[in-house]
Amino acid sequence: MLMEKSLVENGFIIDLSNIQNTSQLVFELSSIMEHPEVKGKNICLKLGSLDLKQSQLLSIKALVESMNASLALIDTISEQTQASAVSLGIMTETISTDINPDFVPQAKEEIEYKKESVVEKSESIATSTGYNEENKTIEVHADIELPADPIETAEGIEDIYDEMSTEEVSEVIPSENYETNTFDSLAASEGLLPTEEVSKYILLDTGNVLPEGISENSVSTGTLPTLYLNQTLRSGQTVNFEGNILIIGDAHPGSEIVAGGDITVWGILGGIAHAGCNGNITSKVRALKLNAIQLRIAGLYARRNDTLNVPYVQKSDEFTPEEALIEDGKIVIYKKLRRD
Amino acid sequence: MTGRVIVITSGKGGVGKTTTSANIGTALAKSGHKVVLIDTDLGLRNLDLLLGLENRIVYTIVDVIEERCKLKQALVKDKKNPNLQLLAAAQTRDKTAVNADQLKEICDTLKEENDFVLVDCPAGIEQGFQNAVAGASEAVVVTTPEMSAIRDADRIIGLLNTKEEITSVKLLLNRVRPNLIKSNEMMSVDDVVGILEIPLVGIIPEDTGIITSTNKGEPIVNDENALAGKAYRNVAERILGEEVPFLDLDEPKGIMAKIKNAIAKLKVKV
Repeated sequence: MLMEKSLVENGFIIDLSNIQNTSQLVFELSSIMEHPEVKGKNICLKLGSLDLKQSQLLSIKALVESMNASLALIDTISEQTQASAVSLGIMTETISTDINPDFVPQAKEEIEYKKESVVEKSESIATSTGYNEENKTIEVHADIELPADPIETAEGIEDIYDEMSTEEVSEVIPSENYETNTFDSLAASEGLLPTEEVSKYILLDTGNVLPEGISENSVSTGTLPTLYLNQTLRSGQTVNFEGNILIIGDAHPGSEIVAGGDITVWGILGGIAHAGCNGNITSKVRALKLNAIQLRIAGLYARRNDTLNVPYVQKSDEFTPEEALIEDGKIVIYKKLRRD
Repeated sequence: MTGRVIVITSGKGGVGKTTTSANIGTALAKSGHKVVLIDTDLGLRNLDLLLGLENRIVYTIVDVIEERCKLKQALVKDKKNPNLQLLAAAQTRDKTAVNADQLKEICDTLKEENDFVLVDCPAGIEQGFQNAVAGASEAVVVTTPEMSAIRDADRIIGLLNTKEEITSVKLLLNRVRPNLIKSNEMMSVDDVVGILEIPLVGIIPEDTGIITSTNKGEPIVNDENALAGKAYRNVAERILGEEVPFLDLDEPKGIMAKIKNAIAKLKVKV
């Protein structure tokens, strides 16, 4: 385990990725946290493959905070830990998959430089605390680091963005994965997180109901034409378009929107929405309020959970934009959480 | 097995055809019979809402007719009772998407595997009505004790009598308010039966519980305490051939109702 100065502003990377159980983690972390250098810093915790429940992560967060530091970022390859962090509002990332390929060539040069500078810094800490230098790993974060202080200017963010890079950058990222990953990382940084109401929509047991002769594909919906509609869709009205559909207005219950690509409703979506009707599994459905009675993406159909007793067209001034997409053969809803 | 195809109709809108269909269907299914409800109100479907099944509808009756799916795929099973199935109407089409022969064929197919096929008829006497009655052999005419509803019901009964296939036409009097009947502000059950001259299959009292049950998507027959629910259960039993006495709607149950009733009686005397 090793402690390093992070590239994040006023940050520290604590690498505990070789630790395999929670009690050891807490022990090591608390001994590191006692070090005066750590106080008041934004801690970036590297946890490797350790699975942490939400409650466990919460106690670790409390431990960090008890030392006047804050837990800014968690790097883990465990899905459970990631989910726990997400539910606690802590940023997460898995370095190997989150890199935007566009930044790769530039970033590589940066790495060499950063590596040296980080090594220097970490050496001094390592010697002072007696940790073994050889275990050292360089952590550079691809994600946009959110400053702890939200009033930080755009300039600050840009600086950090320049530093984005990693040794594993050269790893080829498939273009399809890239699409979803960008969303995931963006979602994490913007507070767009998978909704906790996992059961808001339940897949119908219809199986995959693509029409005959049509197979699944993942054409980028960005290349499709878009139909722009500035109107309210009422019960019984249907919109059918081979590309993307953008509606400025509400789509009332009983209406039907069928698109070859994405569906975006700038308003309340209450009817049936079918994105990617030609089998495009990368299609998404977004709305300021996602109340659709049924969501269909490509061949997957999901119904709204009966237990959600939401009025079909709920007028309100508060909107929580949501986005539905296919993940692991399921329809998943992402929502923007309010930050209190 | 050959089931019975019963059309539920009224002529006038808003008298409770769909509520009646949902409740009788649920009550029959609860007593262990296999029931299919068909919504023929294309473009203005509601039956799915009353049953709380809107989110499960993938295929509609128009998809069946236009052969985009098999009949079995389009049947939506009820949440609670697997004996009850719904064949939903298409919301995005109108009555001309279906014709009487096609509906008759669907009814004939469904009655082979079910005890009851209940057809929820749209308001009016045009194409939608003609479609709905095409496959039926029995009819329940729903009316309320109001002159306009009774006039329309009379017209419907006349039309039903011209259909040779329909052997039985029965009356269901909905939204009866005993207090108003007592104060002579509402036509009595006897008055209505006297005008329409067809046998009575049920009297359903006005019940505010219907509003909540509609909004919740839960038929009121599932509520053991509701008076309207009991009345609908009785209707189902009468349809099954049992002799059930009509509910005595005069007798109020709660203490508040007793007081209200006493006040109503006082008013009559004054």
